[in-house]
Amino acid sequence: MRGSTVEITEKDRRRMNNKLLQFWRFVVLNLKILKGVDVSKRA
Amino acid sequence: MAKVAIIGAGFAGQTAALYLGDALGAEHEITVINRLRDFSYVPSWVWVGIGHMPVEKTLFPLEPVYRRFGVRFVHGKATGVRVHERVVVVERDGGGEELIGYDHLIVATGPRLDFEGTEGLGPEAGYSQSICTAPHAVRARDAYLEEVARLEKGERRRFVIGTGHPGATCQGAAFEYITNVHKDLVRRGVRDKADLLWLSNEQALGDFGVRGVAVRRKGRTLTSEEFISAVFKEYGIRSQVRTGVLGLTEDTIAWEDFQGEKGETGFDFSMLIPRFLGQPLAFTGRDGEDLSGDILAPNGLVKVDARYGLPYDELTRQPDAWPRVYQNPVHPEIFAAGIAFAPPGPISVPHVTPGGTSISAAPPRTGMVSGIIGRVVALNIIDLVKTGTMTHGERMTEMYAACIASMGDSLWDGSAAVIMIYPVVPDHVRYPNDEGRDLFVTHMEMGLAGAWMKRMIQTTFMHKLRGRVGWRFIPE
Repeated sequence: MRGSTVEITEKDRRRMNNKLLQFWRFVVLNLKILKGVDVSKRA
Repeated sequence: MAKVAIIGAGFAGQTAALYLGDALGAEHEITVINRLRDFSYVPSWVWVGIGHMPVEKTLFPLEPVYRRFGVRFVHGKATGVRVHERVVVVERDGGGEELIGYDHLIVATGPRLDFEGTEGLGPEAGYSQSICTAPHAVRARDAYLEEVARLEKGERRRFVIGTGHPGATCQGAAFEYITNVHKDLVRRGVRDKADLLWLSNEQALGDFGVRGVAVRRKGRTLTSEEFISAVFKEYGIRSQVRTGVLGLTEDTIAWEDFQGEKGETGFDFSMLIPRFLGQPLAFTGRDGEDLSGDILAPNGLVKVDARYGLPYDELTRQPDAWPRVYQNPVHPEIFAAGIAFAPPGPISVPHVTPGGTSISAAPPRTGMVSGIIGRVVALNIIDLVKTGTMTHGERMTEMYAACIASMGDSLWDGSAAVIMIYPVVPDHVRYPNDEGRDLFVTHMEMGLAGAWMKRMIQTTFMHKLRGRVGWRFIPE
C-alpha cells in the first residue's frame, strides 16, 4: 500500500496471496495475538 | 451451597458457564437459562448469509456440555428478576413458569435487535435482511441467492449493506458481509452487474465504532480509514458514511447525513444491522415495585461499575470511567457481561445533526470482548464464593482485542483483515499519542493468512466453548 491516498499495488496483491509468505504471516499473527492476550491480562 | 444463575449462553454467558462449572459445578448450583437449545457461533453467519456454510455448522447443543461441567440448563425465556427474593422468573420452552434462585446473577442476554427503531427495517416486518440470528442469516442467504439468479439472467441489481439505525453498532459484521458478497459475485462471474454500496453511521470508513485504528508502517501512520478505502477501491464498492438510516420502504432507504441533509437510496437487496438494546427483563422489588431505574440504563442495558453521564470529552480523559468488574453498584449480586452491560458512552466521536438526529456508532462488545468480560465476571464470582473478595478486573481501556474480518472465505484465494487493538477503548493517559493506543501492539494487515485464521478460530472457539480438552488454554 502506498501514497497519501492508499491503494493496493500489484506487489501487495502478490504478497497477500503468496502461500509461503502467508503461512509465515499466519504463524507471526498467531504469536502476536497470544502476546497481545498476555499483555492484556497483565494490565 | 452457592447458587449462580446465568441468563444467556452467547460468548459471554457460555464462557462464564464453563469457568463457573469447572470451578464450582461439583459443589454449587450453576444454572444457565437460554431461549435456544444450541450455542450459536455468530461470526460465521456472514458465510451462512451467502450460502457458503450450512447454518448447522455454526451450532452445537448446550445441554451435553453443561452435563460434563455440572451446570443445570433451563431451556426458556427469562422474563423478570425478583431482586429481593433473588429469583429469576423463566417461561419454560415447554410451557409453565419456573423460578430459579441465585446468590449471584450474570445477565449475559446479548442484545434485543431493535428493528422497530427504524421504520421498515428487518426481515420480518420490514424490507431489509439481517445476519444477526441464525434464521435471519438463512433468510438473508435465500434472498441473496434470488438476487444472484437475477444477476445470472443479466439483470442489474443494487445491494446496500451497512447499518440500519443512526445509533447502530457491529459495523464489522456488515463489512464482512459486503466483502464476502463481492468475492462471491466475482466467483460467480456476475460482479459487473451488481452495484455494491456501503451505507454506515461511522464517522469515517474503518471507524468500526472504536474510533478507527492507526498503525505505524514503514515510518508513517496508516489509518483504518485509508486501509478500508483502499479495500473498497480495489473491490469496486461505493461508500457513504456519516449517514443514519431513518426508514425503509420496499425499494428505498431514507437517510440523514452529518450535515442534516436528507436523501434516499434505491436498493434491490439490503442487509442492515439494527440498533442493539437490552433484552426486556422486569426487575422488581419486594412489593412488585419497578427497580429498573437502579439496574437498567435507558437503553435497557445493565448499569455496572462505570461512571455514567460524563460528557464525551471528559470520558475520553478518564479511562477509569469504564467498568472494571461489571457489577451493578446498587445490587452487587447482579453482574452483566457482553453486550448486556451499559457502556458509559461511545468510543467513536458522537455527532448530532443540525436537525437534532444523533448519529453515533455504539461501542462494539461482541466476540473477544464478550468472552473476556464473561471470564472476568466468572472468576470474580468464583472468588466471592471461595474467599469473599474479588481479585479480577479488566476495563475496555486496558483490554486487548483481535478482530479478524473475513473478506472471502476461500482457503486458497480468500482474504481477511486482521486487526489487533490495544486497548479497545483509547486511553490517552497511558498512551499520550493521538490514537490513545499502544502503536506497537496495535496492528492491521490483510491477506490469505487472515482467511486461514478466521477458519481456524471458528474451529478452536467451537472446541473451547464445547469445553473440550484444553479449552482453558485457548484465549477468549
